[in-house]
Amino acid sequence: MAQKTGGQLEETALIRAAQGGDSAAFEQLVRAYDQSVLRLAMNLLRSPEDAQDVYQEAFLRVFKNLDKFRFDCSFHTWLYRIVTNLCLDHMRKRKVRKEEPTIVATPDGPIDRMDAVPEERVDGDPQRFLFSGELRKRVKEVLAGLTPRERMVFELRHYQGLRLRRIGEILGTTEEAAKNCLFRATQKMRAALGDFV
Amino acid sequence: MNNCAVVKDYFALYLYGELSFDEEERVESHLDSCVDCRKALERQREVQVALDNIAIEPSPTLLRSCREELHMRLAEESQSTAKHGWWEHFTDMLTGRSVTAGWLKPAGALTLVALGFGVARFIPQGSFGGAMEMGMVEPASRVRYVEPASDGKVQIVLDETRQRIISGDPNSQKIRVLLLSAAKDPSDPGLRAETVDILNGSAQSADVRDALTFALLHDQNAGVRLKAMEGLKPFAQQPEVRAAMTQVLLTDSNPGLRTQAIDLLTKALNQDNPAMSYDRQVIGAMQELMQRENNAYVRQRCKAALESVKASTETY
Repeated sequence: MAQKTGGQLEETALIRAAQGGDSAAFEQLVRAYDQSVLRLAMNLLRSPEDAQDVYQEAFLRVFKNLDKFRFDCSFHTWLYRIVTNLCLDHMRKRKVRKEEPTIVATPDGPIDRMDAVPEERVDGDPQRFLFSGELRKRVKEVLAGLTPRERMVFELRHYQGLRLRRIGEILGTTEEAAKNCLFRATQKMRAALGDFV
Repeated sequence: MNNCAVVKDYFALYLYGELSFDEEERVESHLDSCVDCRKALERQREVQVALDNIAIEPSPTLLRSCREELHMRLAEESQSTAKHGWWEHFTDMLTGRSVTAGWLKPAGALTLVALGFGVARFIPQGSFGGAMEMGMVEPASRVRYVEPASDGKVQIVLDETRQRIISGDPNSQKIRVLLLSAAKDPSDPGLRAETVDILNGSAQSADVRDALTFALLHDQNAGVRLKAMEGLKPFAQQPEVRAAMTQVLLTDSNPGLRTQAIDLLTKALNQDNPAMSYDRQVIGAMQELMQRENNAYVRQRCKAALESVKASTETY
């Protein structure tokens, strides 16, 4: 059995302390993961309000159920199971509601909520900006066309950088099934972005 | 896997490093012999890099707002379920009684501020008037979800946040913690002024004096600073209070506060032996003020103060 690293030991101690009612330890656990949880929810749901809802619900569930956590998997996997389930629920509800528009009315006229989110990583190169702008539009379209599971696997692999084995664990499936899902997602991406590739 | 189209299908998984050993081997051996596919792979690589550029990074404001709301909801959750009060843990964090949680003090203070924001956020704007009269919803409710149920009914999920009234001795720990954080509430100077007024009655306590000193030096509102100075008056002999008054003397933008600082510092000077070191610092600050003060009245008071302890009005 692999030896646990210092970080894992520290996390185990934090979890045990939090299970014993130590709110400071719980706070530390939240701080260790909440940024990536919020990023995942934000990128999947493309709505700050929905991402905030998922964030709240996820950590409240962790808080209420932490005493049931038995270290059968890593805390990260356990937390991400909760978060991905909540996000999938949101995405499925949205599909049923025929996708809620991101266009909202404001005192300055209608705007696309997601266009209000700054593109943090685009550099100052105008050509690259144009390319990125067009690509962004096309990617938004193709992402909306993926099934919730394909969208989830793509997000976890591409943006969260998780390996398929871990993604399978999180989603309660096999690595192979996760791979098939990613394959379908990337096929759809390739079909939609044909002239970019 | 010799067909170019088939190989291209695997490019994404290849770049993610998620192909099996055999699959990867087949892709690479095809690439060795196909210039077009090598170019296509480079384009795929560029697209994958470009995809990174459309990732949304949540703003620090959103993250902070999430954390504040979570604090609030955890507090509610704990208060409704905990056998041993989460509140005690929480106040431990704020007051530093918990060794591990010293770093959380600012977060705790923010949380208490967030309680105020949170309550305000959920207060309805007249939309529930009828329902409230019928006793169906709490005064502070918000519809979160509406969902048709299978039996033809409608399921409505309400967020409900109640305001609570806590009363108690201002010197008790729970009340003290709330007062100390309210004294720093950035959104409401009126609340800060009233809170400082109440805290003035407990200024014999060091943590209250710290809060009053903080308000005196940092509050944006001159009225709040004046109230804080009022509470610190009886303690002007104490070195840290004297240091704060000296700072007010030299840096506060309000002439009324500078005048009061002169009066208090003069009273606190050791009339019998004004050569004591801390008195020399005060006298030095007053002499400095004489050089830079534009307000004639403040200059006059400062000059009188220096003369009363037979100090020069000039700097050397």
